[in-house]
Amino acid sequence: MDELMEILEELRPDVAFEKEKALIDGHVLESFDIVSLVGELCDAFDIEISPAELVPENFNSAEAMWKMIERLQDE
Amino acid sequence: MMEITVLDWLDRTAGRLPDKTAFIDESGILTFAELQQIARQIGSQLLKYKKDRQPVVVMSGRHRLTPACFLGVVYSGNFYAPIDATMPVARLTQILQVIQSDVMIVDRDNMKTVEKLEFRGTILILEELMEDTAVDEAGLERIRRKMSSDMPLYTIFTSGSTGVPKGVITSHYALMCYIEAVSEVLDIGEVDRLGNQSPLDYIAAIRDIYFPIKDGASTVILPKQYFAVPAKLFEALNQYQVTTLCWSTSALTIPVQMRAFEYEVPRFLKKVCFSGSVMPGRILKIWQEHLPDVLFVNQYGPTEATASCTYYVVKERVTEDTVLPIGKPYRQYRILLLDEQNQETLPGEIGEICILGPALALGYYGTPERSAQAFIQNPLNHAYRELIYKTGDLGRFREDGELEFHGRMDRQIKHLGHRVELSELERAAEEIEGVTESCALYDKEKEYLYLFYTGEEQKKQISIEMRGKLPGFMVPRKIINLPEIPRLPNGKTDMVTLKTYFS
Repeated sequence: MDELMEILEELRPDVAFEKEKALIDGHVLESFDIVSLVGELCDAFDIEISPAELVPENFNSAEAMWKMIERLQDE
Repeated sequence: MMEITVLDWLDRTAGRLPDKTAFIDESGILTFAELQQIARQIGSQLLKYKKDRQPVVVMSGRHRLTPACFLGVVYSGNFYAPIDATMPVARLTQILQVIQSDVMIVDRDNMKTVEKLEFRGTILILEELMEDTAVDEAGLERIRRKMSSDMPLYTIFTSGSTGVPKGVITSHYALMCYIEAVSEVLDIGEVDRLGNQSPLDYIAAIRDIYFPIKDGASTVILPKQYFAVPAKLFEALNQYQVTTLCWSTSALTIPVQMRAFEYEVPRFLKKVCFSGSVMPGRILKIWQEHLPDVLFVNQYGPTEATASCTYYVVKERVTEDTVLPIGKPYRQYRILLLDEQNQETLPGEIGEICILGPALALGYYGTPERSAQAFIQNPLNHAYRELIYKTGDLGRFREDGELEFHGRMDRQIKHLGHRVELSELERAAEEIEGVTESCALYDKEKEYLYLFYTGEEQKKQISIEMRGKLPGFMVPRKIINLPEIPRLPNGKTDMVTLKTYFS
């Protein structure tokens, strides 16, 4: 989780990721943020994020992202 | 009778197809009859302010009433200056200072933003304007009689190298020339459904707004968050049976990067036109492989020539190495390539792309000296007045007459479909206390903006402060602190050394 927070912090220093719960639905993250983020998550956690995973529910909060990462690492 | 303004288009289409859908968003539809009625109501109420050919600021979100609001301003004999409420307050304030309007229309969702702006004029709320269904027929008719095709239709703001955004003014005639020409190439008709991607206040939305009004097509205003999750986006294109996309190159790139085609293929699509930056071969190749029967059109052109001036219909099978030409001028446009002495270049040589024709903008709002620099008398014409717009872009004609794009003459770049002056970024950075010097660069491959700086300030703080002044897409993705900015012997910044920092 710490590593994820570091990546997010670096990506968008202006966002309070520990609090924010509507990163996608509230238009906090832009499409180009997501593109870089997905690339970095795949590299950092050695996972593959398929297009079907790219839904708001998986990216609306840092917590949701972490859950997705853990799930994908188990697969 | 000759069509003079876009209102002639609207009246014709609303008369012919009153019950057809003009605009759709998540929460409902607006038919052409409703669009016309709402626009006329808003126009009637604006008559009270007795403004004539003046800018009316519109701050309204991504929904179906926004185009109606624009047209309401037009019915009142004025022109609209749309602004995006998601921009930082400092940026909005700059724009309001340039436009100097005393009337602003705002939708309810954006009331909070308005309160933060120091706007001293009248603020009208869109939803309240719509409640009053009265139409001042005689008043609207009186104004209509005075309208002419050369009057401004809108002013749209774009990045300026001095740090102040420039308001490009487009006339009815220019917009109508452009829309006619593109509609002809894409063969737009009643059966077409456009999927709108561009913010409605931005130049790239004009096709989505005016193809319905002119041709009776319909436009789906796609929710912004879909663009962050392409699976949802392609699903929506199928759900709404979208036939036509006029998107920025970067909006077409993102679904490919996120492998959206593996999830769903937008199967109703028939035509896709793109603009904003050079389309990478590897991206278009994937679109073409999944949609072999779709018409793909590459467009090129600045806001100063009403969005686009040349187009190229993709005929070849695209490969990773394909660099598309920007093609031939649209109907009524002409292109000249000039060298540094303002002479026409020899065949096969690179020159500055200069645009001629009736679709040129009326200049930059409130800054005649800037307008005079960018729009000049055609140096090859000594017989009569004929303006050209010098784009600052370089081009070369191929032997088959297709124009190629060869980059910029200055430090303006195209990033995520938007025009960005790198010097504007540096100016914003250097305004921050604790930043001594800075240099902004663009990594085209990764589409990252870099900011190199010297000084004490923390990177995080710089990012936050810049986000407070500039639109999100202009905030540098990588910020790098250096003990000093590397210099060449002549004192200029050593960009080559800085580029070694690109990861």
